Amino acid sequence: MSATPPQRQYKLTDTVDFVIIGAGASGGVLARELSRNGFSIVLLEQGPWLTTKDFTHNEYINWNHAALTNDFRKQPTTFRKTPKDKAVKQPALVYGRMVGGGPVHFTANYWRFHEIDFIEASKKGTIPGTGFADWPITYADLEPYYTKAEWDLGVSGQAGASPFDPPRSKPYPLPPMPIKSSGVLFEQGARKLGYHPFPAPVAIISQSYQGRTPCEHCGFCMGFGCEMGAKSSPLPTMVPQAIATGRCEIRPQSYVRKIELDTNGRVTGAVYFDKSGKENLQRARAVIVAANGSETPRLLLLSKSNRFPDGLANSSGLVGKYLMFNTNSLAGGLYEHPLNEYKSIEVTRVIHDQYELDPKLGFYGGGGIDARFLWYPISFAFAGLPRTLPQWGSEYKKALAKYFTHSMTLAGHTTSLPVADNSISLDDTVKDAWGLPAMRVTYKDHPDDLKTCQYMVDRSMEILEASGALDRWAYPVEESTFGFHLLGTCRMGKDPKSSVINSDHRTHDVPNLFLCDGSSFVTSGRGQPTETIQALAFRAADRITALAKQNQI
Amino acid sequence: MDTDQTRRVFLGQAGASLGLLWLSALTPDLLAQAHAHAQEAGKSGTKAYRFFTPQQAAEFDAFSTQIIPTDDTPGAREANVVHFTDYVLSSIDTDQQAQVKDALKALNDQVAKAVPGAISFAALSSPQQIEVMKAMEKTEAFGVLRGFTLTGFFSDPSMGGNKDNAGWKLIGFEDQFLYKPPFGYYDAHYDEGKA
Repeated sequence: MSATPPQRQYKLTDTVDFVIIGAGASGGVLARELSRNGFSIVLLEQGPWLTTKDFTHNEYINWNHAALTNDFRKQPTTFRKTPKDKAVKQPALVYGRMVGGGPVHFTANYWRFHEIDFIEASKKGTIPGTGFADWPITYADLEPYYTKAEWDLGVSGQAGASPFDPPRSKPYPLPPMPIKSSGVLFEQGARKLGYHPFPAPVAIISQSYQGRTPCEHCGFCMGFGCEMGAKSSPLPTMVPQAIATGRCEIRPQSYVRKIELDTNGRVTGAVYFDKSGKENLQRARAVIVAANGSETPRLLLLSKSNRFPDGLANSSGLVGKYLMFNTNSLAGGLYEHPLNEYKSIEVTRVIHDQYELDPKLGFYGGGGIDARFLWYPISFAFAGLPRTLPQWGSEYKKALAKYFTHSMTLAGHTTSLPVADNSISLDDTVKDAWGLPAMRVTYKDHPDDLKTCQYMVDRSMEILEASGALDRWAYPVEESTFGFHLLGTCRMGKDPKSSVINSDHRTHDVPNLFLCDGSSFVTSGRGQPTETIQALAFRAADRITALAKQNQI
Repeated sequence: MDTDQTRRVFLGQAGASLGLLWLSALTPDLLAQAHAHAQEAGKSGTKAYRFFTPQQAAEFDAFSTQIIPTDDTPGAREANVVHFTDYVLSSIDTDQQAQVKDALKALNDQVAKAVPGAISFAALSSPQQIEVMKAMEKTEAFGVLRGFTLTGFFSDPSMGGNKDNAGWKLIGFEDQFLYKPPFGYYDAHYDEGKA
């Protein structure tokens, strides 16, 4: 592991302007923006500070041994479908656990939300049994920050290529990545059916950009750190820029267990275990939690006090509630000639024709479909072949040889409705390696979510047929037991009774405590949340700066 | 990895959800040890087992060779799947030793049931081995042994399996740091205007 680079260092006895908890998708952005705006920042990150030299193509280590993600052995999770069930200890979710966060290992799909995503409830009506609601901000409020995210991080795409795209004030800074065979086949099949395929917007640089060299098409994006630094995570962008201000200190391997509250109801700093296990308190004038949609609510729930016996900033009782994972549909196709999907980035073509499905279908939802490389060699051997084929022996071996280079996957990314029982809470019995209550995940997809997912599988099978697939197969739609996207658990809203933060990301209950990450979401969007998480962070930095300058924090 | 459900996830039997791809975890220190172990094993060329007994190694070798047989291309045996498995179980996956031992015992029990008087799975004829495996292919034991076979056959060669890239060559995968378009047949023949 790399040593910490030279940077500004604060003492524990210093009261810094902001402690930011979590150096990921949103925390990295907040640290750069606020340090550039003149504030002193300590950024606490539970994971290590790795560099491009630490990244490898080793599938076994990266995926099965969580080189870049949360550590189930040290940080177990428990899972149950409903609050009536007994939670069982098992891996229930994944998040990026390192400086740079989830975007270090993500596939890099970078979709804006559309206008509808912020106003669904008022346009479509409420849905019984859900907390379906409008956001307190609109697409127009966030548009400048989507643009800022795309330009400051480095995103490749083609503005105007999708007729469903929301309005934008600037094109993408970089042209789309070169199309792959999956993109060509998908484009041909989708067009035959009257759909509108467009180049996938990705947070990967297709040309040199801001001192970084472009993608070399090595193929190791999803689940891997980019050795080229071409993936536009905070690690090669926001992090060095924050450090360069001389006002930001990043402390890796710092695991926060509690946010301290004084008798006036203001937070005073964060208590954390450093890498040696020693407990420290970093004092700050304000605290921003950007620890992701699972760790942010967990930390609030861990931070109990006389004033907040049910967890910090939880007078609404909604901290941890309305967890949304998004659903994923999968279908595969086999073709006559080699696609060699293992080369270059995962996704080069997408459709958004199903973004808003017709309510006459009898369920609520929508999403997008992309064509992609999904299975690296080990996972391909486990799950990449149609299930109708033998799964061991001579015929299996022949099928492995035939399918790997000649097949592709269509993946649908869809809505999850906000259901109050779906939640992050503290487990009653299981503890983590630091002796803190483990994270308990309660999750059962809303029936409409599964119907939407099945709808996307059916459309994917049609596209595969129209694209000339020799063989095609659908993966069964099943209830989620594992989350990749962690959304909605400290939702934003105007009413303190029905939300945790306001549109400035300030908690309704504590004036100098802010939350900004996937937990802020009110609805789930369509399965690619990272750009919205980062746009929110850019916007939150502006709002927080304005409040601080007006002496209102 | 201490529940049945976790094991099912590991073995890819929990459905097609992407969740099967994300599993347990290790500290960077343990990873460093693992890499050191792999390099040492690779250098010395020794095949002394650290986890398996010689008998267990023979049984697992026979089993894995039925999962990915040797034909005109290398199978699990030539790819050193046994060596990979022994290495990970004695270094970075020690928490999975018990389930592998249990799985090998279940294999022996099935042999005893199906072929009375048989000495071992490895000593059976190939058709007998296949018969024994078919009778247990829905069991967790089968899944555990199959899982380590696939992992050893396709993992990075630095881990001790996939010898000479045998697994990767079979499927046409190459691990390079640089490719240039076109990547496949269809993008090489792409006509953007064509529907």
